[in-house]
Amino acid sequence: MIICDWQTALEQHSDLVQKYFMQKAVKYDEDLLTAQHVANLTSGLFVYVPKNTVVKEPLTTYFVQDATTKADYVHHVIIVTEKNSEFSYLENLTTVGSEKTTANIIVEVIAGVDSHVKFASVDRLGTNTTTYLNRRGHLEDNAKIDWSMGMMNDGNIVGDFDSDLVGNGSHSEVKVVAISTGKQVQGIDTRVTNIGRHTIGHILQHGVILSRSTLTFNGIGHIIKGAKGSDAQQESRVLMLSTKAKGDANPILLIDDNDVTAGHAASVGRVNQEQLYYLMSRGLPKKVAERLVIRGFLGPVLAAIPSKKIEEQLKVTIERKLVDGQTDE
Amino acid sequence: MSTLEIKDLHVSIEGKNILKGVNLTMKTGEIHAIMGPNGTGKSTLSEAIMGHPAYKVTKGEVLLNGENILDLPVDERARAGLFLAMQYPAEIPGVTNAEFIRGAINARRPEDDAISIKNFLKQLDETMSVLDMTEEMADRYLNEGFSGGEKKRNEILQLMMIKPKFAILDEIDSGLDIDALKVVSRGVNKMRGPEFGSLIITHYQRLLNYIVPDVVHVMMGGRIVEQGGPELAKRLEDEGYAGIRDELGLDIKLVDEDA
Ligand SMILES: Nc1ncnc2c1ncn2[C@@H]1O[C@H](COP(=O)(O)OP(=O)(O)OP(=O)(O)O)[C@@H](O)[C@H]1O
Ligand SMILES: [Mg+2]
Repeated sequence: MIICDWQTALEQHSDLVQKYFMQKAVKYDEDLLTAQHVANLTSGLFVYVPKNTVVKEPLTTYFVQDATTKADYVHHVIIVTEKNSEFSYLENLTTVGSEKTTANIIVEVIAGVDSHVKFASVDRLGTNTTTYLNRRGHLEDNAKIDWSMGMMNDGNIVGDFDSDLVGNGSHSEVKVVAISTGKQVQGIDTRVTNIGRHTIGHILQHGVILSRSTLTFNGIGHIIKGAKGSDAQQESRVLMLSTKAKGDANPILLIDDNDVTAGHAASVGRVNQEQLYYLMSRGLPKKVAERLVIRGFLGPVLAAIPSKKIEEQLKVTIERKLVDGQTDE
Repeated sequence: MSTLEIKDLHVSIEGKNILKGVNLTMKTGEIHAIMGPNGTGKSTLSEAIMGHPAYKVTKGEVLLNGENILDLPVDERARAGLFLAMQYPAEIPGVTNAEFIRGAINARRPEDDAISIKNFLKQLDETMSVLDMTEEMADRYLNEGFSGGEKKRNEILQLMMIKPKFAILDEIDSGLDIDALKVVSRGVNKMRGPEFGSLIITHYQRLLNYIVPDVVHVMMGGRIVEQGGPELAKRLEDEGYAGIRDELGLDIKLVDEDA
């Protein structure tokens, strides 16, 4: 098994890097952002899990974006799991410093035949960091990726979370929890494309919007012609805590084959005043009551996260982000 | 000893005047009951005292130990000593009953003096056994999927754990079977004492056999129209509201009458 930084990967595993770096999942010439990414790449991680290898303990990484200077952060992660392997991963993105910077981050997960990847992330990039975050899975026959992502960043961000279900029987479960605070603008596009037959793509994303911030969820389920017996389901829900918050949840289903199942649910709502009143009538201050209602709202996504440990960690980060967000209201 | 005074209270909801000058004074150590026909404003009175934002006080005062509380938000009123067992308690998914009650207790204590988990669980266990509640109710999400009777019992559990100065119980008996009624009454009676007062809204005299009130108020048309002892409740049970209304010469229509 290989776990190394980007420089080491280039020096010692150039054959593997060449084979996988922006070849299968993200293509280097997709758009301006990917082209810039390739041109300015400065750091990253390379993980290679050979066939029949089962890694039970999750690999936990902490990536710190340095905003003590104005340098942009361009970071790449590749995770390759070969046939019949299992791998579990937890990524934490944070910022030190408060200079105005940009971050361009791409994560590629190439899940080989019969492999299973549990990918989790708890991101808390800084207020002055403007981020493009692209996480994409390429799934071969019967591969499975469980994505659990906590978008707890404080700056403006575009997140593209995509799964290409290329192999027959491949399966992607995408769970996203997002919180927007302050004046932050977050746009999250979650796409699953069913290409192989009998593939399953499920998206479940819940977001909370405080103060004057914005959060948009676009859920895209695309079933390509020929992907017979496939299933595309998605649910996006947004809860707004203030009248100045802006939120949107757009379900997009593109179905090019008949022999499939698909469905979507989306909602944009305001916090239930009766619930708040009830909690406050027992003496809980408004902000505490709001956090409890929010927790209830995010509960179904958190409960669906496959690892208890990650669920707990995410809960802690959510609480912290909410408390911070409420103090500068 | 504490006092709760309601003075000439006028309340409207969605532009409609519901309470038209309610006067009522009570002290801790006392149990008062309010009875009155449907739609007469009993829940409106309790929500206005507690501070539900939809109920607008257009005139009058509510004084707790002489201080007007009408400018306080609901959570501050609660911490000042008021409690309302609601006619229709909300359901809160994702928050367990136990952690909610602990949060409510801690909201009344200084930040550096939170109740210890051990102490809390001991009190919770004892109180739940008084109310014949199964342990599993503590770990369920707050009121979520609770039956009507379970919700009412859970209101009393919160009451007993929080120990307010004044508790308004809005139809705590509705939807309870006979045994549950006794259990809930047992809980309220356990709270009785010099530091606790309660205003009990009910349609049925039966509850007042178990929780014997010191004062019974009759509310009609948005006002308290009559007061008396426990015997007043018995009289209402026998005669309905028409008797009192006609005796007082009030112009109020009751639901079971033809126009
Ligand atoms: N949210 C509301 N919107 C409009 N009208 C309301 C609202 N809440 C209460 N009312 C009206 O106010 C009046 C008094 O209602 P309230 O609930 O206080 O009566 P009540 O005495 O508690 O009756 P019940 O015995 O049926 O519980 C009723 O006519 C009711 O329809
Ligand atoms: Mg009522």
